[in-house]
Amino acid sequence: MTDAGRNTLIVIRHTPYGSSLARAALDAAMAMAAFEQAIDILFLGDGVLHLMPDQDGAAIGVNNVSKLLASLPLYDIDSVYVDAASAAKYRLATSDTPIAGQFLDQAQIQQLLSRNDHLLGF
Amino acid sequence: MVLHTLNAPPDSTAFNDCLAAIAPGDALLLLGDGVYCALTATPACDAILRCSAQLYVLDKDARAAGIIGPPDTVTVTDMPGFVALTARYPRQLAWY
Repeated sequence: MTDAGRNTLIVIRHTPYGSSLARAALDAAMAMAAFEQAIDILFLGDGVLHLMPDQDGAAIGVNNVSKLLASLPLYDIDSVYVDAASAAKYRLATSDTPIAGQFLDQAQIQQLLSRNDHLLGF
Repeated sequence: MVLHTLNAPPDSTAFNDCLAAIAPGDALLLLGDGVYCALTATPACDAILRCSAQLYVLDKDARAAGIIGPPDTVTVTDMPGFVALTARYPRQLAWY
């Protein structure tokens, strides 16, 4: 049964390879999307490092996070948001990211949090 | 209206990201390592007092950490109070 009309925002703010949180966040996103829940993703703070170009997870024997991200549109997860200030801090350019995201300033991030029905922090 | 629960010490990225995300009408509950942000007259405490959220700290976690007498504007709450907050605020976001 779908939670009709309700939207969930997954907030990712930990680094992609430092813990199992990144994988847990993306697993949650894909599982919920498979059950036709409306999912958006926000990369916040250090979470923007998920969007680094040229990732090679195989170098440490784990899945490449950027390839997982690139597959999100297949799950109908199309709304991806990025903390612009943190992206700038890590010199991440819009054109380099493995998935297209909308860059948001602090006020826009606050609005995003308040307009989603459910928030999941990873 | 978002209930932010902060379980991370001052100087953590969670603390900074959480503070930046708080909007007027939100609430901030300090628990676990987050209770150190209620240590009076510290930079972290001054920062949370300046933010627009209603402030709460979980009593047992504060007592365990030795945080006695947080500022008057930080309401000390217990577990039933925490549950009541989750009912009052339609959204919750955990920072850790």
